[in-house]
Amino acid sequence: MRLTKSGLNTATYVAFIALILAAPLVFDPFWLNRLSKYLVFGMLGAAIAVSWGYAGILNLGQGLFFGLGAYAIAMSLKLASATSLAQGSDTPIPDFMLWNAEPGAPTELCCITKGSFLWIPFQSPWFGIAMGIVAPVAIAFGLGMVVFRKRISGVFVSIITLSVVLLMRLLLVQAQPLTNGFNGLTDLGYLTVLGLEFDPYMPQTYYLVAISLALVLVGARLLVETRSGLILQAIRDDDRRARFLGFDVPRYQTFFFCASAAISGYAGMLYVMASEFASPTFMDLSFSITMVVWAAVGGRNSILGACIGAILINMIEATVSETPALMEAWRVVIGLAFVFAVLFLPRGLAGLAAGLRDWLVARSEGARPHAAPIPAAEERGRA
Amino acid sequence: MIQNPIGAPASGAALTIDGLTVDFAGFRAVDTVSTVVEAGELRVLLGANGAGKTTLMDLISGKTLPTAGRVFLGEREITGLEEHRISQAGLGRKFQIPSVFRDLTVRRNLEVAACRNPGVFANLRLGFSPAQTRRVEDILDQVGLVTRQEDDAGSLSHGETQWLELGMLMAQDPKVILLDEPTAGMTEAETMKTAAIIKAMRGRHTLVVVEHDMAFVKEIANRITVMHLGRVLAEGSVADIEANAEVRAAYLGAKGIR
Repeated sequence: MRLTKSGLNTATYVAFIALILAAPLVFDPFWLNRLSKYLVFGMLGAAIAVSWGYAGILNLGQGLFFGLGAYAIAMSLKLASATSLAQGSDTPIPDFMLWNAEPGAPTELCCITKGSFLWIPFQSPWFGIAMGIVAPVAIAFGLGMVVFRKRISGVFVSIITLSVVLLMRLLLVQAQPLTNGFNGLTDLGYLTVLGLEFDPYMPQTYYLVAISLALVLVGARLLVETRSGLILQAIRDDDRRARFLGFDVPRYQTFFFCASAAISGYAGMLYVMASEFASPTFMDLSFSITMVVWAAVGGRNSILGACIGAILINMIEATVSETPALMEAWRVVIGLAFVFAVLFLPRGLAGLAAGLRDWLVARSEGARPHAAPIPAAEERGRA
Repeated sequence: MIQNPIGAPASGAALTIDGLTVDFAGFRAVDTVSTVVEAGELRVLLGANGAGKTTLMDLISGKTLPTAGRVFLGEREITGLEEHRISQAGLGRKFQIPSVFRDLTVRRNLEVAACRNPGVFANLRLGFSPAQTRRVEDILDQVGLVTRQEDDAGSLSHGETQWLELGMLMAQDPKVILLDEPTAGMTEAETMKTAAIIKAMRGRHTLVVVEHDMAFVKEIANRITVMHLGRVLAEGSVADIEANAEVRAAYLGAKGIR
């Protein structure tokens, strides 16, 4: 059989998607719930690959978009929980708002605490879902318009994104009466849409996550395969050349930055459904940096590679964490894996896979029977 | 000497430069330069290092903002526009240090340049039209990179990189093309091939070429503009320039163009 690069690429996607869809046949509900969280992290890996690998924008604040998506849906789910309905009001009130309210304040969302009216539209889950995408995209758009129009690039973009996520985290914690501060949003209800209830330990929640991931992977891959995606990669390689070819560089960068933010916001929503909480830790610096490590190990130039990198690292971490002594060593292992990937595997695990793919293609063509996956070929390969 | 303001562009002019000046904190790198490049012409910019040739190209293409003066592309004024707007108006530019998309294949480089519509939403589609594909293949053939089309641009030799960038300009297909030292660092054989490519571009495009290689200049030039210390020293045919005493004194040396 004649093998082609694109054929093998497609086969890899199909195999991966089949694998995650078949997982419920093997795993019990507890592990299935864990796995659904890792798939969400895989989605974050894909989002990092879009911005870092394809656009050349190293965002050290991806957690901002993830956190915004998470809080948006968590607000709706908080209002849908049984405790919110049992606060002695006709309409649901988050329990923590009563704890933070002035004595004698009316138990109405409009005026229980300052700013609590912002919660009113979240009574509709559709509003929460919409905001989970709209809020990250709006912030990414605003940030992109300023940063990329000003032709800020490289490490400075990283520093700005890093500052913004920390700023947002601070605001979130400070706005205790509105957000429950450090404690985050817990005791959430289940999302119920179209008569389907998404209990995190039921297979439908897993399937929602798995199908979402499959769609995001295919969608992101198609997006970077479009002409715009090609132009984006050209901009990453040499933005000046692209400008002089007539491309409005900041627009391209902003568009794909927004696409990455949308994926992250969506991932944040799914994570809340699987884990039943939203917390300011989503906007911790360490979390955003961990995402970058996942993508680096998996292969930042590969959407699927970065996704698999995230899932693998988290699965290994979960296994390792059963043994306390290994848990201590885990951070060192992850750090070393990152250094190793940067030094020896600039294209991550996906680079190895691409080398193998090219070797298979060459073998099936029979034209170059001596061709082995030499490092140079890996270097140039694309997965 | 053409240093008086020209005013509105004459019809038939592809590129009109009118009193263009840039002042870098007191240093006038380009000083009231005016010239008209006719449509279809191949103009060579000559001058010693520091004469302001590259800076003039930067001013025309929008990389640097002029302190005074105006630039017209055809009838349209392009002074002070952003680089991509000037490019969209019909100006292409090749840099002195070859500038290509190193991590994309040679073919992909040309495909990017052939995307005629600059908008991000307009380009949200897969693949290229048969006409675009044919055009890319023609260009690959013209610049002699057919066998390297699937290789990353970063793996090309210096000469091949220059040809690829010329090919990208062909794919972009602007009315006016600025070429900054297209033969810099090339072997004699490579220079000859480059001359052939540039000759093939003539007619379809109006070209302004900065060049030092005299044999090459005599081979390709219609008219020559000589710059010296940021000003236009002389302008004319190859013969005029060879005969010009001022040019000899300032730049060519006693022996003239050989």
